[in-house]
Amino acid sequence: MSAIELYLTLGVAVFLLSLHGLMTLHDPIRRLIAVNLMGAGTFLVMVSLAKRSAVPDPVLHALVVTGLVVAISATAFALRLIIAASKHDEENSEDSEQP
Amino acid sequence: MNFALISLAVPLFAGLLLLLCGHALKTRTTGFLAIASTVVSLAAAWFALQTVANAGASIMLDLGGWETGLAIRLRLSSLSALLLLFTALMHLLIGLYAGFSRQGIARDFWHLSCFLHGSLAALWLSADLFNLYITLELLGLTAVAMVALSGKKAYRPAANYLILSLAASLFYLLGVALLYGRYGELDVLLLAPRTEADVITRLALLLMTTGLMLKAALWPLHLWLPAAHASAPTAVSALLSGLVVKGPLFILWVLWSEVAPPALAQQIGPVLGIAGMIALTAGGLSAMRSPYIKTLVAYSTVAQLGYALMALGLLLTWQLPQMHIALWLFVIAHGLAKASLFLAAGEMQSTLGTRRVDGLRGATQTVPVAMFAFAVAGGSLIGLPPSGGFLAKWVLLEPLLSEPGNWPWAIGVLLGTLVSAAYIFRVVALAFDRARINPPDTRTGRAGHWLALLPALMVWGMALSGEWLIQLLAGGGV
Amino acid sequence: MTLSWTTVLPVLIILSSLIPGLLIFATPETAARRRTILNLSGIFLKLILVGLMLAGVSQGLQFRFAIAFLPGAELVLQGDALALQFITLSSVLWLMTTVYAIGYLENSPLRSRFFGYFSLCVSATVGLALAGNMITFLLFYELLTLATFPLVVHRGTPEALRAGRIYLAYTLGGGTVLLMGIALLHSIAGTPDFVPGGYVTSLIEGNSLSLRIAFGLMIVGLGVKAALVPLHGWLPQAMVAPAPVSALLHAVAVVKAGAFGIIRVVYDVYGIEATTLLSLTRPLMWLAAVTIIFASIRALQQQDIKKRLAYSTVSQVSYITLGVSLVGPVAAVGAIVHLVHQGLMKVTLFFCAGNFAETLGIHKIQEMDGLGQRMPWSMAAFTVGALGMIGVPPIAGFISKWYLATGALEVNQDWVLLVLAGSALLNAAYFLPLIYRGWFRATPAGGWHENNFAGQRLETHWMLLLPPLVTALLSILVGIFAGSIFSPLGWSQFIVNREFGL
Repeated sequence: MSAIELYLTLGVAVFLLSLHGLMTLHDPIRRLIAVNLMGAGTFLVMVSLAKRSAVPDPVLHALVVTGLVVAISATAFALRLIIAASKHDEENSEDSEQP
Repeated sequence: MNFALISLAVPLFAGLLLLLCGHALKTRTTGFLAIASTVVSLAAAWFALQTVANAGASIMLDLGGWETGLAIRLRLSSLSALLLLFTALMHLLIGLYAGFSRQGIARDFWHLSCFLHGSLAALWLSADLFNLYITLELLGLTAVAMVALSGKKAYRPAANYLILSLAASLFYLLGVALLYGRYGELDVLLLAPRTEADVITRLALLLMTTGLMLKAALWPLHLWLPAAHASAPTAVSALLSGLVVKGPLFILWVLWSEVAPPALAQQIGPVLGIAGMIALTAGGLSAMRSPYIKTLVAYSTVAQLGYALMALGLLLTWQLPQMHIALWLFVIAHGLAKASLFLAAGEMQSTLGTRRVDGLRGATQTVPVAMFAFAVAGGSLIGLPPSGGFLAKWVLLEPLLSEPGNWPWAIGVLLGTLVSAAYIFRVVALAFDRARINPPDTRTGRAGHWLALLPALMVWGMALSGEWLIQLLAGGGV
Repeated sequence: MTLSWTTVLPVLIILSSLIPGLLIFATPETAARRRTILNLSGIFLKLILVGLMLAGVSQGLQFRFAIAFLPGAELVLQGDALALQFITLSSVLWLMTTVYAIGYLENSPLRSRFFGYFSLCVSATVGLALAGNMITFLLFYELLTLATFPLVVHRGTPEALRAGRIYLAYTLGGGTVLLMGIALLHSIAGTPDFVPGGYVTSLIEGNSLSLRIAFGLMIVGLGVKAALVPLHGWLPQAMVAPAPVSALLHAVAVVKAGAFGIIRVVYDVYGIEATTLLSLTRPLMWLAAVTIIFASIRALQQQDIKKRLAYSTVSQVSYITLGVSLVGPVAAVGAIVHLVHQGLMKVTLFFCAGNFAETLGIHKIQEMDGLGQRMPWSMAAFTVGALGMIGVPPIAGFISKWYLATGALEVNQDWVLLVLAGSALLNAAYFLPLIYRGWFRATPAGGWHENNFAGQRLETHWMLLLPPLVTALLSILVGIFAGSIFSPLGWSQFIVNREFGL
């Protein structure tokens, strides 16, 4: 097994493991991390595919960079939403505890 | 092609403008600017449609002057021109509603809806798997932000929607990566002649299909949709159900009818067709049982997408041009009808002060116009003549009935019709209850009720332009 | 397309009730006078237009309007002789029923909604009659369902809603099956205009199974509205609607829409030749015969006046199907003329039943004792209608039965005479006790449940009394003057000569 194949397999394995996490976990933060790991697996596959030729494929690198930008901004957005949602839930549970 | 670019760019720039200086403007002015940009985009889309109809074939454009393969390549086919027109029309109708109904809408709605419009327009025009990924992400992020507009109670469903949407995009992206690794191409037209039915291609297509079906809420990956669509503000629900789920469906169509080798497409076709039939009945049954109005309408989206999925599946199986026409007629008819249904549902909710279906007792007296809109739009979903829904169903039925071997599929259509009739008339029958009327809140205005009726009337008017639509879709299909 | 009056007239006939209907929706509840004016002007305009078309068709003019709709299937409105038979009936009865409904619903709520939908129903019925091909027919058939539903549930009580749901389940289900049948037929033969003799004869070879299935689907779809057993369950339920609705829609428009559709399919789509070649007439004949006898027996078991009348409708409408399925010219005349005759008589009966209920609160048959003394005019009209149903000459019903019977003998289906005789006996068995109670029993000691209009010059509101008297008179007149060329019988003969190429 060459190094590229190893990385490819690793990428797919990370993707599948984190998919399993996404489906079984309930905490939103954990689920978000799982999605990010799925992304990491995908990017690993892409980068190792780019390495197959002597000159690394620039198109794939560009795609990974774009993908990273999307992933980071989406993660920030998701974190903001999750925090706001849990604050809202806390307020509600406090409200309901009052007589 | 330039007209299509205008139709794409105007809402994007309007969105940017409103985002940057929106806070210096009054909400009213913001709304006015957004609607004005939609009108410009609509007109441009109309001219784009004329151009492509005159050209008689798809028009290609490489952005930025790069050579093919590196450039962002846009493609204007008669289908994408029609979808541009449809998107602008939906935004116009829903924008008018958001601007004039007394329910009001958050200021942020306007720039977000402009972005949504822009990303959809970009999606229809893209002819490159990676561009499609970008537009898909833009669409997803904007949609989530719009769900969150309805306030704190929607944050949880919005967060869930976002996480699922991200996961779905990654499925798609991994598939794109595999395809690129195998063929070294991303452009749909360059990829199409080269694909072979080998293991990697199968795997890539499977991954991408899973992601897209999740995004389009196609059965069995639809479970997120009712919560997300029902918790959004009314105008947003209408946009999400009427337009946003159609984006991934479009990519799915591009993927299977153009990129995938025909042998594979013929294998997956029946699977998609059966999933569509199940979606029709299962979604309809859920809608029939739903205690809440908006959830009912959201489940109806799951059911109606079943028609589209069935048409797509049969298109792949038999490679029949009628199925292609039926698919897009369903998309357009459903979009208009569903917009009306959601707007009417939202208006009735706010006027009657209840989210429950039971609360609609006596609605023909208390909110007659909104209820009429609901019934008229519902008639198109059922497929009663001469609505747009009927037109689509007719085009779908014709090839199904001409061969006795295909009759089982027609039974699916029959079931779908009956189930849709059941959930629509469940609401309409309640509305005639005179014994236990739910008193209305008289302070809310009635303009929104009439604006909710507008898309429903358009979908019934669609039948009159049926021949034109069919010719358009038949002429420049691929 | 050139716009001459022969193309525009069919559209105008539909619009003459559609536009007043839409305007009535917008009329405030309190503006009763404006509503009445709108209603009546629509009706008289329609009657004039129908008169024009009658004159035109008898001169041999062609009325046809078409616009593009589906590929290979235009929307076509066509005024031919058969269409006019149905249109004239519904327009005349629309006038009567509107007068009746204005009196019936005086001071009740939601009248704008009621009259609005009522006009839409008439528009749908007339459109259905004018439909020039199966697609157009389907369109108006479904619109008729949609427009009648609000009238069935008009009272808004739980029972009305329940009946409304049953009504919808039957009619929408039927509409879907009809759609399947029409789509199947379209895939074989396309959808050309209706033409005497049909358009499928040349296609029988190789398609006989598909054509049979399409015929079966269409008959099932139409049979729901025509209330063929076992698809009749909605009709007795729908009797919770206000009396004018039961009178015009359920006794005339809706059930006739189904029967009219069957006439169209047999004569103008399949044609007599193809129907016979595909051996489709015999099942249809049996279905009609079973419906006639079964529904008469069910009618006998009912104690509610309106329910009994409803089952009687189920039975009588099947005379039309029976006459069609006999495929002889004489029986065909009987079938087509019964379309009008049954309408006139049944509408009379329903008007009278409504009068009894409105004036004295009478709903059950046992309560009819001595009714003739208190309400002689209504009772007399009721008697005319009932005797006509049994087939007593010279009332209209006798003419239809006579033609059906001689038509059956002509095509050597002698057993049909047994069905007709049995049905006449059963009709007598379930109508004569009502007449007997009304005229010959003493008024109950306890008096009536209600006693409206007591001590006044007329036995009830004049708007309730006039329509049944006019329709009763008409059902006698069309019987007496059946020999005239302008009677329904003469016109039916004219239609049949065209259909059978005589």
